[in-house]
Amino acid sequence: MATAECAQHPSTCAADDPARAVSTRDLWFWYERGRPVLQGVNFAAPAGAVTMVLGVSGSGKTTLLKLIKGLLTPRRGELHVLGRYVPAGTARADIDAQVAYIPQQLGLVRSLSVLDNALIGALPRLGTVRSLLHLIPRRELERAHTTLATLGIAHKAAERAFFLSGGERQRVAIARAMLQQPRLIVADEFLSQLDAVTSAEIMTLMRAIVAQGVTLVMSTHELELVPRYADRVVVLREGRVVLDCPVVDTTTAELARAIKP
Amino acid sequence: MNRQLWTHRFGWPLLAGALLYSLHDVGLLDAGRLQRGLHNALVFARGLLPPDWSVLPTVAGAIGETVQIAFAGTALGFLLALPAALAASSIVTGPAVAAAIRLLLALIRTVPALLWAIVFVVAVGLGPAAGTLGVAMYTLGYLGKLYAEAFDGVDPEVLEAVRGTGVGRLQLARYAILPETANSLVSQLLFMFEYNVRASSILGFVGAGGIGYYLLGYLQTLRYASLTAALLVTLVVVILIDQASATLRARLLLTTPGGR
Repeated sequence: MATAECAQHPSTCAADDPARAVSTRDLWFWYERGRPVLQGVNFAAPAGAVTMVLGVSGSGKTTLLKLIKGLLTPRRGELHVLGRYVPAGTARADIDAQVAYIPQQLGLVRSLSVLDNALIGALPRLGTVRSLLHLIPRRELERAHTTLATLGIAHKAAERAFFLSGGERQRVAIARAMLQQPRLIVADEFLSQLDAVTSAEIMTLMRAIVAQGVTLVMSTHELELVPRYADRVVVLREGRVVLDCPVVDTTTAELARAIKP
Repeated sequence: MNRQLWTHRFGWPLLAGALLYSLHDVGLLDAGRLQRGLHNALVFARGLLPPDWSVLPTVAGAIGETVQIAFAGTALGFLLALPAALAASSIVTGPAVAAAIRLLLALIRTVPALLWAIVFVVAVGLGPAAGTLGVAMYTLGYLGKLYAEAFDGVDPEVLEAVRGTGVGRLQLARYAILPETANSLVSQLLFMFEYNVRASSILGFVGAGGIGYYLLGYLQTLRYASLTAALLVTLVVVILIDQASATLRARLLLTTPGGR
């Protein structure tokens, strides 16, 4: 099937199609046996696009995103991330630096500076000894400063993360993700604590990043963001996909009904 | 019979009986002995005053040595405890290695600083070196446990976010675990130093240096007035260090990030 068509209708493509950054087939996950959190999820995120995952709390959004990131391993079913097959089982999954992860509370190290928080994204490229001694090569420093400038936070590079506002902390988390030079960014409700104006600013930045060929899979509660910033939308309910389509094929009212009938 | 009734009818009388038996066994129900004890205590109390300040130069030097033992011992113990605690944190090394190192730290902690000092007096001879090593061992056991617990308490989301970039365990420790816990590590270190100053003041009892040697000597040679001077100097130094350390800890915890 042609790549462009796959991007439009990913669930009809082959699992390892390059047009799909993420795909799952009959994916199951449980923390406790007998109480599945994901129940046979079929889901696909087209490459170079924004896929938003919606659902009420406890619907399985965070678990799905952690599986994509490799923080959890599937119990059953198929999962492909950036063309790599992730086997089901109990063994710990490999962490792929090409997949950046922004958790809900952002996971910034509060006592480190903005620059050092961002540079964490570059650490795997530096090697252990160099990074333990904090010997950061000039090109990585320049890259970090450029990224912070692009995100409008360069003037706070020396400030500790603890003292930043919500929007500023968001930008630092995005900078850390960008310095991983990822092909895929997985973001879990990372806008949930922002006002509408700042959310819109952050999403505009994220769209600019996606325009460079990066894929974004994010969960959110903010329905109003979907038509403006998403290419594809997936709704989870009690661990099952109840809606999965291009954004142009649905309406906000239909999404709201799918989330909570 | 329900549990409450059982406690009333048998529990309390049993407890009271056990207390009386213990008091009798240790000799505290012997009226004659108590009377003699009271008399001796009064003689002792009269001998304590006024303090004999002529011993001040000797005592000042000895308390200086006590603080040095505590300082060097705490610093050495800290240097040992930090890597030990990282190894004892299940985040860094995994549950099996962490459990083994924790067991080792528990064994080290079981032995009080005074006993460690005796061990090191045997090993390196009489003097403050033995005391310093004794304090270092006890500090290793204690800080190792406290630090490992602090490391295991780091916000899991921070760990996930940093680990998710693809860093190794040492990098995770350097860039997430240590910075996130830095304030509580310093706070616990200061608290340990306070404790070690107090503990070091009796290390001289076993020949491991410091003021304890003089405290015991004055007591054994019935020089109670000299003992008072030495105790007052010890008291003042301990209070000053306690206050300085508590102020520093409070400032660390209240005014800087990551201190809650």
